[in-house]
Amino acid sequence: MKIGLEIHVQLPTKTKMFCSCPTEGDEQPNSRVCPTCLGLPGSKPSLNKRAVELGLTIAKVLGCTIPERTWFSRKTYFYPDLCKHFQTTQYDMPIGERGVYRLGNKDIRITRVHLEEDPGKTKRVGDNTALVDYNRSGIPLVEIVTEPDISSPAEARQFLSELLVTIRNAIDLPADGDRSVRCDCNISVGKERCEVKNVTGLKNVENCLKYEAVRQTKTLKAGGKIERETRRYDEERKVTLPARKKEYEADYGYIGEPDLGIYNIGEIAASIKIRESPIEMAARFTSQYGLDSGKAKQIVTTSLDLAALFEEIAGETDVATAVTWTTGVIAANWKSFDISRKDEILPIVKDLFEGRIKDTECGIRLKALMTGKSVDSLSQAAGDLDKIIDGLVDANAHVVEDYRKNPKAANMIIGMVMKETKGAYSSSEIVEAVTRCIEKRL
Amino acid sequence: MDREIVERVARIAHLDLTEEELEKYGGDLSEILEYFQMLDEIPGDDAVGFNPITVADVLREDVPSVEIDPDELLKDMRTYERYVRGPRLS
Amino acid sequence: MTSLKRLNEIYEMYTSFTEDAPSGKFVFSAKDNLTSKDFESCAGSRILKGYRPPFDATPIRKMREAGGFLQGKTNMDEFGFGTFSANSGFGIPKNPYDLNRSCGGSSGGAACAAAVLEDHVALGVSTGGSIVCPASFCGVYGIAPSYGRVSRYGLIDYANSLDKVGVLSSKAEDLGRYLRIIAGKDEHDPTSCVQPEMPEKDRMAKSVAVPREAVEGISKDVMEHFERSLETLRSMGIDVEYVDMPILKYAMPAYYVIAASEASTNLARFCGMRYGQQDGDLSLGFDAYFTSFRSQYFGDEAKRRILLGTFTRMVGYADRYYNKALRVRESIIKDYKRVFADHDAVVTPTMPFVSPRFDDIANMSALDIYKADFLTIPPNLTGMPHMSVPCGYSDGMPVGLMFTSDHWNEDILLSAAVEWEKGFDRIAPEVKG
Repeated sequence: MKIGLEIHVQLPTKTKMFCSCPTEGDEQPNSRVCPTCLGLPGSKPSLNKRAVELGLTIAKVLGCTIPERTWFSRKTYFYPDLCKHFQTTQYDMPIGERGVYRLGNKDIRITRVHLEEDPGKTKRVGDNTALVDYNRSGIPLVEIVTEPDISSPAEARQFLSELLVTIRNAIDLPADGDRSVRCDCNISVGKERCEVKNVTGLKNVENCLKYEAVRQTKTLKAGGKIERETRRYDEERKVTLPARKKEYEADYGYIGEPDLGIYNIGEIAASIKIRESPIEMAARFTSQYGLDSGKAKQIVTTSLDLAALFEEIAGETDVATAVTWTTGVIAANWKSFDISRKDEILPIVKDLFEGRIKDTECGIRLKALMTGKSVDSLSQAAGDLDKIIDGLVDANAHVVEDYRKNPKAANMIIGMVMKETKGAYSSSEIVEAVTRCIEKRL
Repeated sequence: MDREIVERVARIAHLDLTEEELEKYGGDLSEILEYFQMLDEIPGDDAVGFNPITVADVLREDVPSVEIDPDELLKDMRTYERYVRGPRLS
Repeated sequence: MTSLKRLNEIYEMYTSFTEDAPSGKFVFSAKDNLTSKDFESCAGSRILKGYRPPFDATPIRKMREAGGFLQGKTNMDEFGFGTFSANSGFGIPKNPYDLNRSCGGSSGGAACAAAVLEDHVALGVSTGGSIVCPASFCGVYGIAPSYGRVSRYGLIDYANSLDKVGVLSSKAEDLGRYLRIIAGKDEHDPTSCVQPEMPEKDRMAKSVAVPREAVEGISKDVMEHFERSLETLRSMGIDVEYVDMPILKYAMPAYYVIAASEASTNLARFCGMRYGQQDGDLSLGFDAYFTSFRSQYFGDEAKRRILLGTFTRMVGYADRYYNKALRVRESIIKDYKRVFADHDAVVTPTMPFVSPRFDDIANMSALDIYKADFLTIPPNLTGMPHMSVPCGYSDGMPVGLMFTSDHWNEDILLSAAVEWEKGFDRIAPEVKG
């Protein structure tokens, strides 16, 4: 099965792509419109610099080749929501081409990344005539086109969700409803492919692809033929249907957009700094610090601040110390931690590293800092906990040897401690203490 | 330009042509395009620009502004509860 | 004095106008494809009937801010599609020197107003010659500046890479005075934002070139006046040299391909929704609804150019026509630059003949009419500033002389107009009343 996606994401700018109308605010229909985004005769477009920067950031994150010059084109077709009856988009020189996205152990090739304007929004009334709201007309979109490298509906969903995390991390994309992702989905089970247009949201993409895969497989098994066609997805009935047969042929007849001219984007692209995505950061931790991938992932997914702290501690002490404490006590108490005090963590770990304090005290001071509880009460509790654990490990001495082969062996002790302490300690506290107590015996 | 192409072009352009018009425009366009064949004679420049002067890097800062009250823009449009009315969608 | 109403009944230069002119302001008119708040703006098309723009085009705004009073909107070929202003949806303006003849196009009403009305400056628009052609036929001065010199914000597009707003007047000095008012960068039109400033003092032309290719196929009477004009230029101390520019013959097809391709996309928006005519039956499917308006209200030449332009950018044909035309344009620009390396301006007749009679125009084929633009098209295709000055009369009908200069060198044309006027007696038309 081959699946390729054309993904549309609205860019988080303050103004529209080609006019200064606000992108947010008054939600009444046609309240954020001007001559340009209504396509009034005599209006002209003017390109939003921020949209170019955001588009280029995405193209760069996806590893695209960025051309020195780019321009816009007119894609002409007739529909009530498209006020000029041409969409200002990119055709022969997109802002990015030939990128790649790493999905797990697999590469999904990115064909192109281009900028374009969103059309307005139509609503049908009882008699099927259109009611059009042009507030959306001219909202900047980035379109990401993949090669047919995706091999299942589930993988398509996985890809989209990770891609969105990457994009969100790169450009601070809000994670909200209406500004969600829209996809054109191309899928082929046999030789011929079908395109399902304008599917909104991750779940619908997966469901529509599932339906379409089954439909195509059934058709082929029954000896039928898949017609190359455009289909649409009915969200309520969860089926794809052939799009209306067009009496009016579309021939977009692309031409260059002379109202805008050309853009030398090489320089802008070079000045854009790409934030490392969590996935890339985890991979780097593995190669740079020798972390196993599970630990690396744990650190970056807990928080990017924690990841930064990890690197700081590793630099000032050593990697082993940094791993033990960031994945242990620090991670365990991260959620409730007042992040503005994070600079106080490093001195404590350094005290340990330089021999001024012992493991137990280090743990207690960190916990005190991060939870706001007093050192005394924590010492008392920790002492009690450590005593219980040590007793249990003494009684089950084989655990230390088992742990050496497989760290999961600690689970036995953890289970016992939980049973014995009956909720007096949090599970993360217990996990941390058990791991520490076993490791010091290795 | 044969009749079939004229009909196709008219459909794409959303023009409904009478028999007479099809005949007339078909003839005119054939004559015009035949003359335009002279473009085949020269190679043309390697550079392609969409403007006769260099229009490059004109960008706008992302600062919202409203010059005309949207109500003023909707004044002469056919509307229903602020929506612009349009023809049947399917 | 004859009332404006009466004059307009005779000449039909205005599609809409007002008779009350306040004192202390200079009076100007604007071609009907420039949007203005206080008049309907239809660009000569019935499909826009009823459209009252909510904003002023930048050139109109600037004229008003400089103390101008907009008297009315001048008649024109629908969307600028024409050479004789005979393709208007609202009557046909008449030549002030002979009511049976055309005043040229597409800014026909503007040239007519400049010729007939006293102390009047007319804003015109040129895409392929629509300022100099009517200026020539009506015996007035007219300048189309460099592409990008005057903001096109508020100009109802014909072809975005070719359209230029300019000035027509019976007085040479008006060209510079008003061009300087309307010129300049405008954030509403990015193509206006790359221009250098106009020099404060106009430079004088020392040397002009006459392309041999541009004096072939000119009527005998126009040619006589042209040669006499070259003598005048020499007597003004300007070198006149013949040059070869064989590439100019490709300008006409390249121009019509680009102009029609762009126009066919610009006109896609006119469909019976949002503005202009919009009283259709909404229960029709959208394709049928749009088609009905477009078929009913677009005029003959608009339909022809939409068909031509839709074809020339279609898959399978675009490389041969649209993309090729863009490259040919680049070649022609380079050839002009070669000539401008040694000369300050290129000089040719403006039109190959004096204004034709309407009954002769009726017998011309579409291609014949396109070919009549062969002198005005090259500077328009390449975005070069160009200007027509009256240079004589043949049986009472004005003849025009056209100057073309390099991009942004309008000042060379403006000084030439003023110098020319010193040695030329314009014969004003006998205004009927």
